[in-house]
Amino acid sequence: MLSRVANNLYWMGRYIERADHLARYSKANYFSSLDAPIVKTYDRSFVLESMLYMAGIFDMEEINERDVLFRIGTDTQNSNSIISNITFARENARGARNAISTDLWEAINTYYHLVNNYPQETYLTTGLYDFNQMILDQTSIVSGKIYGTLLHDEEWAIILIGMHIERAIQIIRIINSKLHDIYKIEQAGHPIAEMSFEWSNLLRCVESFDTHRKFYHNIPNREEVLEFLMLNQNCPRSISYSLKGIRRYEEKISQNENSNSNAISFKIRKLSEQYKYLSFDEFKDDIYGLLNNTQAKIIEIADELEKKYLSF
Amino acid sequence: MKQQTNGRILDSYAYGNTHYDEVFKETKEPKEHYQSIVERFNQLSLSDFERINNEVKTAFFNQGITFAVYSDDKKPDERIFPFDLFPRIIPNDEWMKLETGVIQRNKAINLFLDDIYHKKLILKDKVVPADLIFSSKNYLKEMVDFTPQGGIYTHVSGTDLIKHIDGEYYILEDNLRCPSGVSYVLSNRMALKKSLFELFDKLKTKTVYQYPEQLLEILKTVKPKNVDIPTVVVVTPGMYNSAYFEHSFLAQKMGVPLVEGRDLFVEKDFVYMKTMYGPKKVDVIYRRVDDEFIDPLVFRKDSMLGVPGLMNAYRAGNVTLANAPGTGVADDKAVYHYVPDIIKYYLNEEPILNNVKTYHCEKESEMKYVLENIANLVVKPVDESGGYGITIGTTLTNDQIEEVKIRIKSNPRKYIAQPIMSLSVHATFIEETKEFEPRHIDLRTFCLMGKNTEYILKGGLTRVALKRGNLIVNSSQGGGSKDTWVLD
Repeated sequence: MLSRVANNLYWMGRYIERADHLARYSKANYFSSLDAPIVKTYDRSFVLESMLYMAGIFDMEEINERDVLFRIGTDTQNSNSIISNITFARENARGARNAISTDLWEAINTYYHLVNNYPQETYLTTGLYDFNQMILDQTSIVSGKIYGTLLHDEEWAIILIGMHIERAIQIIRIINSKLHDIYKIEQAGHPIAEMSFEWSNLLRCVESFDTHRKFYHNIPNREEVLEFLMLNQNCPRSISYSLKGIRRYEEKISQNENSNSNAISFKIRKLSEQYKYLSFDEFKDDIYGLLNNTQAKIIEIADELEKKYLSF
Repeated sequence: MKQQTNGRILDSYAYGNTHYDEVFKETKEPKEHYQSIVERFNQLSLSDFERINNEVKTAFFNQGITFAVYSDDKKPDERIFPFDLFPRIIPNDEWMKLETGVIQRNKAINLFLDDIYHKKLILKDKVVPADLIFSSKNYLKEMVDFTPQGGIYTHVSGTDLIKHIDGEYYILEDNLRCPSGVSYVLSNRMALKKSLFELFDKLKTKTVYQYPEQLLEILKTVKPKNVDIPTVVVVTPGMYNSAYFEHSFLAQKMGVPLVEGRDLFVEKDFVYMKTMYGPKKVDVIYRRVDDEFIDPLVFRKDSMLGVPGLMNAYRAGNVTLANAPGTGVADDKAVYHYVPDIIKYYLNEEPILNNVKTYHCEKESEMKYVLENIANLVVKPVDESGGYGITIGTTLTNDQIEEVKIRIKSNPRKYIAQPIMSLSVHATFIEETKEFEPRHIDLRTFCLMGKNTEYILKGGLTRVALKRGNLIVNSSQGGGSKDTWVLD
């Protein structure tokens, strides 16, 4: 496959995954905040700030709901907005149109038009839930077409490695963002016990609330939530799981080249093995350190992948 | 809006008595080959029809069968090419004549190209004026004495035809460079099958499905020597080209890579594409980039779309280009006039299909006639496509007629004129009035030629001028299209 087309597929995967996380984060936070227990600290601006933090928007002087929702959701001038991500995903798919199935192309194109034609005023007033849910549903349709209508060859692996790299990065961002929120609440002097709400919220932000409960049979708490989202090998939205994915698809792309001579394979294996045999106690005192270090390594791996396969 | 009688959606149709009506007789009865289709349409209520029409539009949109209109400030406005649900039907005997006529014409044109780039016999015999050929900017000296694989120049050609008021087909023009539109033929058929599938029980139409397979086969027949299994690619100017949908469509349906100039490079006269795992040799290029942009070392130096060194690789016989460079010299509107003579010269046969009478302004006597009769003629620049620069005499004011005269006199070689042909009309749904109205149509056929083989798509693209009275059917001028059925 052309490296330019591979590049398109890789970024298509990344943008699809990115929009999905952004929408879920907005939805989960906004709606759980409506009846949050810690009312005093937890006013609306607290949630809006958290959403901005996640969306990487730091230049808003005055925070009002309408503007925040606009900037995150439907602002075409903001390259981090949901609509921009979908537009980029679709443009990349268009550039790789002949390399993907008609089914997948139509799913992505339909997705783009749905988002693009969503009435702006509805989104900003009554449609926040509907809009974000649409993003999540459309991602599922697109993912289904990726799994079900493509030949599972190295072209397919390129899309999936993009999605897993993005997922790992987004999970790290979300954990960081929520730890930041929780830190603020702690600073305001709230007892730890009230924090279970925030840990549940973190789980909802990565669609892992139900799976977590099934696994631990327990009220969410710091140790178990972080352990679950970082280390659990079976939770499809954990860092460890995402690294496993990166490794699996990289092996497909590198076609099992000897790993000693292949620096990328080696780095990926090392990182995913590290997570496999890590325990919470080992990093509980420096969670930020581990998260940042992991993110840096993933970005390094992504850069090297791009250099090797996607930029002839 | 007129009142619908009994809800039969075709009852209010105003028979187009000033033109050849494809569907209805003067008695307002449908012609025999349209009867069952008209019956079926009349069973639909207007609201059903509108619903289906809207569903089809949405489907085209979601499939990305669109083109973008760019404006300065905002994001591009994406539009679909209008598709009319009422298919155009061609009876089999009528089609067979078209088919043999189109093949005859393209075979002769191919021999003509071979001749003017080699022995130039037709010019020496003064059947076609040598000046006309050598003064054409589309005559490429780089092609002189070079023979493409299999002797084929026009692998893909699009021949445009119209039906005049006398019920005869006339050739409007030949498109021998990168004719487009075939993806709409296939998409239109698909859309009609999904939306009005019962129509297909009423009449049996020939399929159009094989076109991409046939194209791939044709391209493989002209592979370079010493290549066993050729690597075929489609070259596109890129995503922002208005025909990008078609380029990606064809590549995808053939299962071959769609590449841009920047994805290719030439080394030691071989062409390679840049893949994930390194360079891969390319053998046959179906290029949808115009001659002047394919190689900045030979043609336009500012071309960002081309591949430096491509012409050398081509001339070394290491890669095949389809179509061959330099075919534009034969679809020049001034050469069009000579095609009947070209057919007689090479094939020793009478032309099966008629040409429209053409006046060449470079011939003094003919220019005189044109200047005196502009009000009754269509004047066309010989080197423009897409319907640009065309004036239709009956629509001009006196001042405009004077302007056209000045333009012609300043550069006679650039203009030809033809009588205003009366394009046939076909019942077409008009959204504004919610009625079927007569609209002018033409037909673009698609003919493929490979080494010792040819293929013609059964049917082709029926283009329809949606504006009332408009004779120009090009999509860039507000035209739409119809599915075209050749009866089995």
